[in-house]
Amino acid sequence: MKQVAITVVFLAFALTTKAQDYTKSLSGIEWVKIESKADIVVKTHNSQELLIKNRSSYDEPERAKGLRLLGEGGSDNTEVGFYVIKEGNTLLVKNLRKSDYAEIYLPSSQNVAVTSTWNGDIEISGFTAEIEANAQLNGGIRIKDVAGPVTANVLNGELEVLFTKVNQSSPISLHTTNGVLDVSLPGNTPADLSLGSVNGEIYTNFDLSVPDKNGLRSISSKKVKGAINNGGVSIKLSSTNGNIYLRKQ
Amino acid sequence: MKDKHIITMLPDYLDNQLDPVQKEAVDKHLETCNNCQKELEAYKRLFDAINKEKKEEVPDRLQLNFEAMLEEEKAKTIKVVPITANNNSKTKASLPYMLKIAAGFALLIASFFLGKYQNEQVSNQTLAQMENEQREIRQMAMLSLMENKSASKRIQGVNYIEELAMPNEIIVKALAERMLYDENTNVRLTAVEALGAFTNSKTVVNAFVTALGIEKDPGIQIVIIHTLVQLQEKKAIAPLQKLLEEEETQPFIKAQIESLLPKIS
Repeated sequence: MKQVAITVVFLAFALTTKAQDYTKSLSGIEWVKIESKADIVVKTHNSQELLIKNRSSYDEPERAKGLRLLGEGGSDNTEVGFYVIKEGNTLLVKNLRKSDYAEIYLPSSQNVAVTSTWNGDIEISGFTAEIEANAQLNGGIRIKDVAGPVTANVLNGELEVLFTKVNQSSPISLHTTNGVLDVSLPGNTPADLSLGSVNGEIYTNFDLSVPDKNGLRSISSKKVKGAINNGGVSIKLSSTNGNIYLRKQ
Repeated sequence: MKDKHIITMLPDYLDNQLDPVQKEAVDKHLETCNNCQKELEAYKRLFDAINKEKKEEVPDRLQLNFEAMLEEEKAKTIKVVPITANNNSKTKASLPYMLKIAAGFALLIASFFLGKYQNEQVSNQTLAQMENEQREIRQMAMLSLMENKSASKRIQGVNYIEELAMPNEIIVKALAERMLYDENTNVRLTAVEALGAFTNSKTVVNAFVTALGIEKDPGIQIVIIHTLVQLQEKKAIAPLQKLLEEEETQPFIKAQIESLLPKIS
């Protein structure tokens, strides 16, 4: 009896600590839109729900006890410093803390749109569905282990995308204004490529132009179009002032 | 009254059914009365007609069975041919006959080609119709894709423009809407580049000028600026100067405007 009681107490304790993470069902949700000023990491897990990790490292000011965190566009309704609301078949997830890193888990088949509105970097990995990412000010974006389609835009940071394979269903569009754009594709990817940088250089080891001996080479003209592996889905990489690096994996 | 009485007796008079006294009275009256003479004539014609009918119909029906009648009909129709043929001389008859056959063939061939021609016309029409329909379907697909929730699908919709040789006003306006108001920067950028190929349209140029006034993304601003400067569009001068004055405009955009503005003003 004593042992059972101990187990029950232990389990209850484990559950309460676990309950500090925030979860929400995703049934009927087509898109999850995440907004954050601070760094944000979006990963996949095997459950059909949204999970926001509780940031135990974050020390809430002593004076904030019993008060609710108020942020732009909503107040904390999750106990983890997030504002979550369902709008039609879209789930809006807003990080209310301006400086603390957050970790969010979603099923890999979920469409996600992630926006960084200030200095935060965005990291997304493992998704098989559609990804939209936008770093509107100083943040960068790193997307890996994905299949596309991906639409991403970065103003001042770097944009790095690693594809494990490339979904042929609909176009991929990646753009940076001032930062570097670095993309890796499997060598056998069929695609119609379009690369263009107004003031930056373009480097690739895919066969798009005159071959060079030293692996990656510079394609001097501002805009290059070409098919790889007999053509396929449209992939557009463009930058205004940054260099573009397209790598064969 | 007397006349009327005579008239009623006329049928019997013609049928010889009257007794001698009555017959004499009718004869006497007829000598003087024109009306009754005419009446009698009419009766006579009627009776003749009736008699003739009876003589032709009744015996035939009674005496001949169906096959006999058929034989007779055949004989009658065969008789007809020689009569018409006899109207022309026999040597002449063969020529029109040949001509008739030839005319028949000519008609057959002519109608065949006419039918074929009409068919071709119809199939050409349906082909054109199908192409039209396909174009409309593509347009509809394009328009609906551009309204899709997914940015990638909207980009796909915008890219469809490459398959439409001559976009109509509806498409141009839908593209302009993407360029001006789409929430996704990549979609706006794709729309700007797609519309860049149709700057001969007033709608497109005006949309570029409007976009220059509202677009905040420097990557798109630069494309719009280059397009409008290349077109020497004077309407771009005011929004360009406004961008120069605005604090949030990126330094490299300001530098571009400063170097390009003299080229159009």
